[in-house]
Amino acid sequence: MSLEYVKFTPGFGKFMPKEYRDMVEHGPFGKKVSVSQVGTFKEILEEHPMCAGCAMTLFIRLAIVAFPNPEDTITVGTAGCGRLAISQAAIPFVYGNYGDQNGVASGLTRGLRLRFGDRPKDVVVMAGDGGMADIGFAQTLHSWFRKEKFTTIMLDNEVYGNTGGQESGMTNRNQVLKMAPLGKKFEKMDMLGMAKVAGCAYVATVVPNNPRRVESVIKKAVLVAREIGPSYIQAYTSCNIEYAIPTDKVMEDAKTVETDRYKFSEYITDEAKEYLSQLYGYKEYLPKPAAAVEKQ
Amino acid sequence: MYLVANIDTEICAATSCKLCTQYCPEANTILYDNEAGQDKGFKYGAAYVAVDRCKGCAQCVWVCDNMAKHNAIKMEMIDQIGDTALTENVTYGEKTSHALLANPVRGQG
Ligand SMILES: Cc1ncc(C[n+]2csc(CCOP(=O)(O)OP(=O)(O)O)c2C)c(N)n1
Ligand code: SF4
Repeated sequence: MSLEYVKFTPGFGKFMPKEYRDMVEHGPFGKKVSVSQVGTFKEILEEHPMCAGCAMTLFIRLAIVAFPNPEDTITVGTAGCGRLAISQAAIPFVYGNYGDQNGVASGLTRGLRLRFGDRPKDVVVMAGDGGMADIGFAQTLHSWFRKEKFTTIMLDNEVYGNTGGQESGMTNRNQVLKMAPLGKKFEKMDMLGMAKVAGCAYVATVVPNNPRRVESVIKKAVLVAREIGPSYIQAYTSCNIEYAIPTDKVMEDAKTVETDRYKFSEYITDEAKEYLSQLYGYKEYLPKPAAAVEKQ
Repeated sequence: MYLVANIDTEICAATSCKLCTQYCPEANTILYDNEAGQDKGFKYGAAYVAVDRCKGCAQCVWVCDNMAKHNAIKMEMIDQIGDTALTENVTYGEKTSHALLANPVRGQG
């Protein structure tokens, strides 16, 4: 949990695999990298067994590139497809029981604050819609009501992908799936609304067909969670297997869904705006000059 | 045998848009060489694929054809592709990377 852990033990560097050496020598630790530079540095995420062309994989890849301080970050996950990739990154990964992720992250965040005090350690939960809105629903909401300071990211593929296509609370009404042959009878849950009611300081929806935007929302969510309060990102990350999307059409689907029903949205409290503008130079959140306010 | 992505360096280096590098679902797979194409007079480099990591989804082809409109990427059979980049032959430099090309089936040389 510091730059020390990504260094070689003296004398052992030459015995390490090439991928590991590349990561230590040319990885993003301790540097500022951006999504526009990918391909020119060694990424923290390694090979993993998620399906070819899965949009969730792309989102996880972009999210990990976007972490503001990867050397001081811990990810928390649970059963579901995402953990197959998140666990294959050079960032400590904590895996709880199915649905426990926000409870585990609450304890972890508090413990890290006691242990490291003023040095921020970022805790980021990434879990599927089933793990978060169904099985882990109570823990998710309670962590928000308790104002636990960590980031929660829902990898919303609108299905239980890992177990072969059951409907989740986040599946759309009438959607037919392998294990929901009559179609879902209820509406998609409004987790965004609940996140706001429960007191999240930053809430955003995003689709990975806009990598720079993914980068931007991840950075803001992680920074806000350091000081201000819980943050929640809901990402549309289609399951091309259960929704039968040809892999070369996954981004076309992402674009259509984004325009249709998963538009980019961002909610941020005034306190979080002030913090981001004062501490991290986000100009868009600086108070508007009086003249500009009058014109509106 | 199976399909992997292959990027035409000259078409890519003519615009150097870097879109595919950001849209590949796999990490460390579509890499970028700032010096590629310099021998042909191009200035800003080109993307290339470490084919041992490519899962063959062809998302990059869609992005290159439809978003960038450059048509620089084709899916090709791994044993037909000729010399190409492999993770073991990639070296990273200051904000760039470079691959010594090798045959993905037979190996180096
Ligand atoms: C307590 C418990 N119940 C059930 C399971 C089986 N299980 C593993 S993954 C999964 C579904 C995952 O769906 P979701 O959370 O939406 O993630 P996805 O795979 O779609 O990304 C289930 C039910 C489990 N691991 N633990
Ligand atoms: S089952 Fe679906 S969500 Fe899971 S890795 Fe495959 S495409 Fe992605």
